[in-house]
Amino acid sequence: MFGPEVAESLAMSGHGHSAHKLNNGNREEQPTMKIPLLATALFLLLPAWGYSQTTDELVKGATDTANVLNYGMGYHQQRFSPLSQVNKQTARNLVPAWNLSLDDNRSQESHPLVYNGVIYVTTHAATIAVDAKSGKQIWKTKVEYPPETPRIVCCGIINRGAALYDGKVFRTTLDAHVVALDAKTGQELWKQEVINWKDGYSQTLAPLVADGVVITGTSGGEYGIRGFIDGWDPATGKHLWRTYTIPGPGEPGNDSWPGDTWKHGGGSTWITGSYDPELKTVYWGVGNAGPWNAAVRQPGDNLHTTSVLALDPQTGKIKWHFQFSPNDPYDFDAVADMVLVDMDVRGTPTKALLNANRNGFLYVLDRTNGKLIAANKFVKTMNWATGIDESGRPIESDLTKKMRATGETVEVWPSVWGGKAWSPSAYNPGTGLLYANTLEFGMKYTPTKPQYRAGTTYWGADLEWVFPEDKNVGYLKAIEPLTGKAKWEVPSPTPRWGGVLTTAGGVVFSGQATGEFEAFDADTGQKLWQFQTGSGVEGQPVTWQQDGVQYVAVTVGHGGAYVVYAGDERLANVPSGGSLWVFALHPQLVQASR
Amino acid sequence: MRIPAWPVLALVFCLVGARASPAADDRADAAPSPELVSQGKGLYRQLCSTCHGVNMVNPGTSSFDLRMFPREDRDRFVGSVTHGKNSMPAWGDMLQPDEIEVLWAYVRAGGKS
Ligand code: HEC
Repeated sequence: MFGPEVAESLAMSGHGHSAHKLNNGNREEQPTMKIPLLATALFLLLPAWGYSQTTDELVKGATDTANVLNYGMGYHQQRFSPLSQVNKQTARNLVPAWNLSLDDNRSQESHPLVYNGVIYVTTHAATIAVDAKSGKQIWKTKVEYPPETPRIVCCGIINRGAALYDGKVFRTTLDAHVVALDAKTGQELWKQEVINWKDGYSQTLAPLVADGVVITGTSGGEYGIRGFIDGWDPATGKHLWRTYTIPGPGEPGNDSWPGDTWKHGGGSTWITGSYDPELKTVYWGVGNAGPWNAAVRQPGDNLHTTSVLALDPQTGKIKWHFQFSPNDPYDFDAVADMVLVDMDVRGTPTKALLNANRNGFLYVLDRTNGKLIAANKFVKTMNWATGIDESGRPIESDLTKKMRATGETVEVWPSVWGGKAWSPSAYNPGTGLLYANTLEFGMKYTPTKPQYRAGTTYWGADLEWVFPEDKNVGYLKAIEPLTGKAKWEVPSPTPRWGGVLTTAGGVVFSGQATGEFEAFDADTGQKLWQFQTGSGVEGQPVTWQQDGVQYVAVTVGHGGAYVVYAGDERLANVPSGGSLWVFALHPQLVQASR
Repeated sequence: MRIPAWPVLALVFCLVGARASPAADDRADAAPSPELVSQGKGLYRQLCSTCHGVNMVNPGTSSFDLRMFPREDRDRFVGSVTHGKNSMPAWGDMLQPDEIEVLWAYVRAGGKS
């Protein structure tokens, strides 16, 4: 798929990038270095090897147990690790290795990356490098943004992590800038403005580096934005391409918007996409349509809101799209994790894409062409639709039809928080199950007439939450992808708002809003272990092995959308306060297990 | 800096401009008029609810539980909303004094209208 491996490494390594031109589309033009012997010699001499991530390393990230190189524990975002030192038998012996204060009271949802014994973690206010063994901070580079920026951020002041490539650390900022830092020193190498934050655009996502291009999206779906995805040159920060999620006049799909509604139609892209290096395709989820009141955007499907886009990383060109909730009235944002799985579908090996969608259905798509394979309900209570038809369109319920026809208040399940919010799920190839932090509550929904005012929310609906009688607002579920059925479930009295991690040791990790970081048996859901971390767990657990010890890391610190917006007073005694926790088996037990 | 081209708000100014002036509302014990409160509610939903919760219901940990805000301290409210406080963003460049006043009415009413 790539040129000679060594030449590729050299080209990507930071010392050889002059040999590799990053031009739109002509990625086929291979590095000029043609003499393998010379290449090998140079390769061996590279002094900064310890800080240079190549495309090849990123492609192999999912099986590289010594490092955590990709958001989602691999380009496929399965959040699965082949490690098994921590397993069903040993998990109860997990103890903290260390804790590092992030010196921040906002929500901590950052996905830690690990490369050669250094952890890279972010907050909205800083990028931090930490020695993975001792927990000592190596460098910290602050992020400055105007103090008014949080006004245009609906759902918690957050940063979800960095990307590593070519000796650089890439991240986004709340005021919509993409930044590259030197991985060794934290020194800023370049900083590019994405767009003016005052118009409601912000960034909280980790960038994706795919095929040598830094790719970022935008938040702001509640502020009347028009969403897009950008490609950047990692070496210089040069803007390579922008693909709008909402087609402009003359582009295919623009006629799915009446009048000028496309201009403020939402379609944010606030979660990192996944990537299939063999198909050279990036899969990126697209947010809800804006304003929420769908009558404003009728008639039309409002492409490509609530969709997944399959993109060429070199050009941003859309290869195919699949829309989940056409003319969406309920904020059924579809940005959350697109999990790439090679699985058996009724006897046929299939390159699939799994998505536990906010609208309450678990979709299985053929990721080579975007065709629907299965879509089944994974929540207990749903009344907005009765199913998904063969073409992939939801069959709307009488309740939704009535709301559309009359504008009357309706009690809808799931709510705007969805059957699963942003919380990334994990797929375990051993069990064939998707582990997801699902939600189980509804809302009273009243469409209202919105007025667009730049830099303020553009909603057009009044909401009130309807919590279930047993007060369990969700479940951690082990779901069969093709049926949506749960093999097991564990109630979440308050939502588990962070990510899920699963391992070949048969363990599932996640954490509660009340601070418990937990390990479960992947086959039965039995709780194996838990530890009180001191604040709500909203982070994304990761694992790696270093010098014979398997480590599990997670950021904690609450303040995400549920805490600030859902008004769950049961969390009043959970203090905020961000930190990074790292766990391992008790040292004596690690010795014994060798 | 700007006059909002926002019809609903323009209406607010016409209807309540005089009554909402700081001088008229200085007596902290005077209950805010239901009209002001309901106008404040609309603005609150649009600008403040994302951090302070729908109907001001919020665990109060990541932001401030506005139901606990001292009802007699208008100056502190206007000051904090205009200039910001710690991680509370400033709104002075965006909101007119009349708009802050209807928000104060809504907060004084405890988020109920
Ligand atoms: C981006 C989130 C955010 C938004 C939006 C927001 N606030 Fe706040 N607000 C906060 C935080 C955080 C605090 C706590 C500040 C601190 O640390 O003292 C706060 C505190 C306050 C306080 C208490 C200040 C004091 O004197 O102690 C008031 C009053 C207030 N907010 C009113 C508002 C109003 C009115 C709006 C809408 C115009 C609003 N806020 C919008 C985050 C927000």
